[in-house]
Amino acid sequence: MNTLVILFFLLLGAYFVAVLENWISKGRFQLSAPLYAAVAFLGRESFIPRKPDQIFYEVGPVLLLLSAVLAAAVIPLTPDLIITDLATGALFINAALVYVLVALLMAGWGPDGAYAMIGGWRFLGQLIAYAMLIVMPITAVAMRAESLLTTQIVTSQLSLWNIAYQPLGFALFFVASMALAFLPPFNMMIAKGELAGGVEAEYSGMRLGIFRLGRLVLIVTLAAATVIFYLGGWQGFYLFGFELPPWAWSTVKILIVTMAMLLIGRYMPRIRETHLLSWCWMIGIPLALLNIFVVGVLVLEFP
Amino acid sequence: MTAQAFFIGFFGLASVWFGIVVFRTYSMMRSAIALLFSQTALGAMFLSMQAEFLGVLQIMMMATEMSIMAIFMVMFMMDPGGLGEMDMTHQKRLSLIAGFVSFVGAVAVAVFVDWGPVATTFPDAAQQTVDLGLELLDRSMLIFETAGITILTAMIAATAVAIQPVKKETGKK
Repeated sequence: MNTLVILFFLLLGAYFVAVLENWISKGRFQLSAPLYAAVAFLGRESFIPRKPDQIFYEVGPVLLLLSAVLAAAVIPLTPDLIITDLATGALFINAALVYVLVALLMAGWGPDGAYAMIGGWRFLGQLIAYAMLIVMPITAVAMRAESLLTTQIVTSQLSLWNIAYQPLGFALFFVASMALAFLPPFNMMIAKGELAGGVEAEYSGMRLGIFRLGRLVLIVTLAAATVIFYLGGWQGFYLFGFELPPWAWSTVKILIVTMAMLLIGRYMPRIRETHLLSWCWMIGIPLALLNIFVVGVLVLEFP
Repeated sequence: MTAQAFFIGFFGLASVWFGIVVFRTYSMMRSAIALLFSQTALGAMFLSMQAEFLGVLQIMMMATEMSIMAIFMVMFMMDPGGLGEMDMTHQKRLSLIAGFVSFVGAVAVAVFVDWGPVATTFPDAAQQTVDLGLELLDRSMLIFETAGITILTAMIAATAVAIQPVKKETGKK
């Protein structure tokens, strides 16, 4: 039952992300646009490149969707609404999301097209930049919770949310998760103005639809991960004398994080993965280590 | 118990099969990804054996490592797509013998070593993670730190060797 609810939530989330993205990037607020787009994707002809690597070409988009959904399996929306509360939950999110890279490499290599392939390799470069900035802030979060259980991580923030306890980690994780979801400004691999769409260039019809859906679900999953790691998950406070139920708090926070991600991307120029690499390794990783040190001291002094 | 045995066997066979696929294809990318899925199946075997942390760690680490290996394979092979006539296998006799000998050796170790009694009770997954952390930072710390530093040194050395020295332009032409 929980599985169905979470899947429905992800689908609904993907729909809202699509509406928001349309609104923020094009200035058009249309609630029906994603539905029309989905129908159009289903109805359109799927062009197949002349000499594809058939397996990679077909598996790529599906694997992208699958890894985003798998990562969502350990994310609690309320204390009980979680698919599986793994003892290694925080690590599992990471493990599932690494397959986003594998999916993009497969989707890039599969169609036997130069633009797509370069797009895929670009994401590999981007991964080497952001990967440490996903893992190291999560380490600091797990240090405070003294557990990798995602539910435990949420309850550890009862007195103070992690965004206030370790703001540096939040900033790093937020940027890194934007890079993981290849949201603008980190979308060199699929941007229309770059490589004619990069990884997406050779996909059309239903396959492109699945790819886009996978990307939307990935954004929801990462926003939800940010919420449980840094924004206190389902925990809320009294708002004008009313108390919202836990699922509503999760939803509201996830929507806010998604909007923040999309809005920031709107006002930034695209960042090349080489620049991202040098910034992440020369500035980001030292900051992440500093964050771990500071949190270590804080955990010992003010648990 | 039977379901557990089934899944261990299933993922074991999947791992072996993907290992075979690595050498059956001429596409560097397929070869690398097949090796990745072979390792992922090993991780799934760990999960079936209820070693959750090890399984998730294996599944996570291998994806990055094999992807990075893939780009090196594509960069260094003259025919990365495997569309040409290039034959990648060599020293077939020697490798057949070496493979057979190591297979027999591994089976012999598995069969003839006295593994002691099978554990009937084991800690739950959360406790396993705690135990592993204490082990890594206590008794085994020196071993892991030594291994880590050695790998880091090797990586830096390999990078330093691979960088072509840039000749500075001297004098004006």
